[in-house]
Amino acid sequence: MITGLFMALVGGFLAYVFRYNLAFPGESIPLFGQLSAGQYNQFITNHGLIMVFWVGMPLLVGAFGNFLIPIMIGADDMAFPKLNMLSYWFFLTSAIVLMISFFVPGGAFAGGWTMYPPLSVNGYTDPSPSFLSAIFYGSSLMIIAVALEFTAILMGGINYLVTTINKRAPGMTPFRIPLAVWYIDIATVIFMFSVGPLVAGAFMLLFDITLGSGFYDPARGGDPVLFQHLFWFFGHPEVYVLLLPTLGVLGEIIPVFSRKPLFGYKPLIVLSLISAVLSVVVWAHHQFIAGIDPRMATFFSVATILISIPFSGIFLSLMATLWGGKIKITVPMSWALGMIGLFLVGGFTGLFLGSNAFDIYAHDTYFIVAHFHYTLFPSVFFGFFAAFYYWFPKFTGKELNKALGYIHFWLTFIFFNGVFFVLFFNGLGGQHRRIYNYEMFSNVAIEPYITFEKIATISAICLILSQVIFLWNFIVSWAAGRKAEKNPWQANTLEWVADSPPPHGNFHTAPKVYRGAYEYSVPKASEDFLPQNLQAD
Amino acid sequence: MENQKSLSLPSIKIPQGRLGIWTLIVGEFMIFGGLIGCYILYRLRYPEWADQAAHTSTLIGALNTIVLLTSSFTVVKAHEAANRKDLKKITLWLSVSILGGFLFLINKSIEYSTEISHGFTFSSPALQADGDTIGSLFWSFYFLLTGLHGAHVIVGMILMLWALLQARKGKNLHRVELSGMYWHMVDLIWIFLFPLLYLAK
Amino acid sequence: MNIFPESVSTYGSGIDNLFWLILAFAGTAFVISLFLLLYPLFKNHHTRVKRASYITGSLGKFHFKLVAVAMLIMAMSDFIILFAEHSTWEAFTTLPKQKDVEYIVTGRQWNWIFTYPGRDGVFGTADDVVIDEPNSELHVPINKNAFFQLKAKDVVHSFFVVNTRLKQDCIPGRTITRWINFTKEGKYDISCAEICGIAHTKMRNFIVVESNEKYDHFIDSLYNQQAATAGNQQ
Repeated sequence: MITGLFMALVGGFLAYVFRYNLAFPGESIPLFGQLSAGQYNQFITNHGLIMVFWVGMPLLVGAFGNFLIPIMIGADDMAFPKLNMLSYWFFLTSAIVLMISFFVPGGAFAGGWTMYPPLSVNGYTDPSPSFLSAIFYGSSLMIIAVALEFTAILMGGINYLVTTINKRAPGMTPFRIPLAVWYIDIATVIFMFSVGPLVAGAFMLLFDITLGSGFYDPARGGDPVLFQHLFWFFGHPEVYVLLLPTLGVLGEIIPVFSRKPLFGYKPLIVLSLISAVLSVVVWAHHQFIAGIDPRMATFFSVATILISIPFSGIFLSLMATLWGGKIKITVPMSWALGMIGLFLVGGFTGLFLGSNAFDIYAHDTYFIVAHFHYTLFPSVFFGFFAAFYYWFPKFTGKELNKALGYIHFWLTFIFFNGVFFVLFFNGLGGQHRRIYNYEMFSNVAIEPYITFEKIATISAICLILSQVIFLWNFIVSWAAGRKAEKNPWQANTLEWVADSPPPHGNFHTAPKVYRGAYEYSVPKASEDFLPQNLQAD
Repeated sequence: MENQKSLSLPSIKIPQGRLGIWTLIVGEFMIFGGLIGCYILYRLRYPEWADQAAHTSTLIGALNTIVLLTSSFTVVKAHEAANRKDLKKITLWLSVSILGGFLFLINKSIEYSTEISHGFTFSSPALQADGDTIGSLFWSFYFLLTGLHGAHVIVGMILMLWALLQARKGKNLHRVELSGMYWHMVDLIWIFLFPLLYLAK
Repeated sequence: MNIFPESVSTYGSGIDNLFWLILAFAGTAFVISLFLLLYPLFKNHHTRVKRASYITGSLGKFHFKLVAVAMLIMAMSDFIILFAEHSTWEAFTTLPKQKDVEYIVTGRQWNWIFTYPGRDGVFGTADDVVIDEPNSELHVPINKNAFFQLKAKDVVHSFFVVNTRLKQDCIPGRTITRWINFTKEGKYDISCAEICGIAHTKMRNFIVVESNEKYDHFIDSLYNQQAATAGNQQ
């Protein structure tokens, strides 16, 4: 988790540098200096790669998966603890390899995080590369890093599934497993089924770069679009790999602070399975304008819009949990509610892009940038922070500072909107992505777009600075925080039965499970919560 | 309310290791599935690849298929022996399986060297120089698919060797089965590759 | 404030109208969702409620049906959007029967190459005029169906003329034909919307839309010039 947070800082720094450049073209950037066009491309590429693969996945799936899955199902440890360590070391190595790629001759990979060939194969710095030209290092290292990272997550994934299937406590029937565990496991399954083709595609890309094969070279019968298909076959499900764990976390937090059973527990699982299946047939909506068959585009447009239906069901259920509850607003609850609010913006702007006609215009503009930040930022960071503030007492046995938590939440919430809300307008104004300097494009080098750029940049800087509060709170509370109670939120799930922090082996005596995870405010019960391990009277 | 349900452990228990290997196999199949899918798409687009496929040696390919199938059979025998805790038989059958892997690799290297000596390599510059650029792509696929499969053969052999060494000490007999499962997967992938690369001419 | 830049093609307004249509649906749904999210925070605040109600929302129960109906409404509005957008999509991707002028536009690192067919109107002949330089202009007549064969020489580019709302990736090894019918004279940017390397930013050319007389005049002199240089070389 610490590695993930460190990578988040790196990603954030990259974002700071290129946003500053956009708002104040050509000026020297504090803490960095002059940014060249080549570096700009490297930075946006690696910002994307890092944030998705080295922050999103390890923070949610990696860190919380490892901590929550065994303890929530009442197991003493993961099924394969050694595999788990190995998975972490693979992850660390991959992060180091990626960092190294910044310092090799020619710099890091700069072909966009989507790595579309032929750009990624030959010539994003030099149109006629020789075998040992600089290009070779950056992109090869990037692919190796990504491959290592996928291996790490796959190993973790095997572990999660086996643990959930085999190591449940007595009485933990499939439909008593908390939603967080269900959703992390479903995310893992989606990942396992979608990543294979991309690994295959990455092999071909690597050999195109290093051994001179021509899988994507049209002159040799290859097809660049093939890679796009392979990439997005993985790339779209990947969004749900990032989203589902967060929804699972929300499924824990919202019932606890509404003192009310989770609305539609089984339907929620079914809906997520439906969306998991649909998620592998929507990939080509990233390629509406990539020259695919128009009829195919229509099919994918329909599938994309269809996938909004199970997700609307999931969000409606989460909101329905609030209705009729007894709501207590706490720090984790505000992050959870903030996540829903922001994701609604991301989700509804997805309707615009899912319709293939509007996508002709909005594709590759800032509209898309704003859209996917409105989906990914809440699911990665808001989800992470919600989970963090919620489970921190369990994790460390200490309490976090509440006031700092609220300040952190509101600053993040406000500045996040400050960055990306204005970018919707820039996108509609026709500003396209990944451009180093906008001054030469007449349609966007005018007001209000220049001001919007500046607002976005200043907000981005403030957004990053607000995270200092979080780090401060984290470190100080851990070192010198007040001792937390065993079950401070009065929640039902098994992790609150264990000591804080949980000892090796999690529980002193193996817990037994008598009921589902969401029995809050049961009529006639004396307390408004009924822990899963409590024997019925 | 459903809290009156039994407190028994989850009813169906699959041994941990077996479950792990199954999930691993699913992941591996997706990787090979992706590659084979791409290969088939290209193959349908370029019927002229049949000319290139004619250069592969069906004889060696068929021989290798037999070798792998036999070694799969001996792995099953080893598994049976492991169930009976018959250490000698385990050693025998696993060694035969590993030997099968060696035979496969030897065949493969003979095959590779003839092909490379005819100018068919990963990027086949000779073919490209002749203007048959599309044909050269076939060889890229050929070497990628068989090479990746070959790497899995080696991994499978190492796993079996490990299981063998431990089984001789009478430890971790279940690993005989696990390495066997992996070996079956390697075998199964070859069953897909053989007709696609060798037989379809 | 005008959200969109000026639209100068026959189908451009279709995109803009589509935006407002989807905004109407999505905006309404967003406001409703926000209400669903925020209202209980006040009404069901723990100071106002003694005990939460025990609603599980299980399959088939009343509350579950409520959510199911909401999903159904959502699905229906989805399909209305799909239905409405389809004609716009067709307008962009289906070529009209009548072809007035045609050009080849090729993306390369880092400018657009324009090819005029020459007097014979056929590409690939000796009298083609190829203009391959940064910031060059492509001249197009107004109110005519102009066809563009989009190609790419090295990497993936994306042909984007903001004011016409048309964007189309150019894939090496493929030719994709799109069309524009300009409705207003002027000089418009062509940019590349797909990252294509270090000078991706500088990849910009122009489309100049002129009246028919001016265009004919321009094309005439262009072809004459071409014939003259070709003659000189021989």
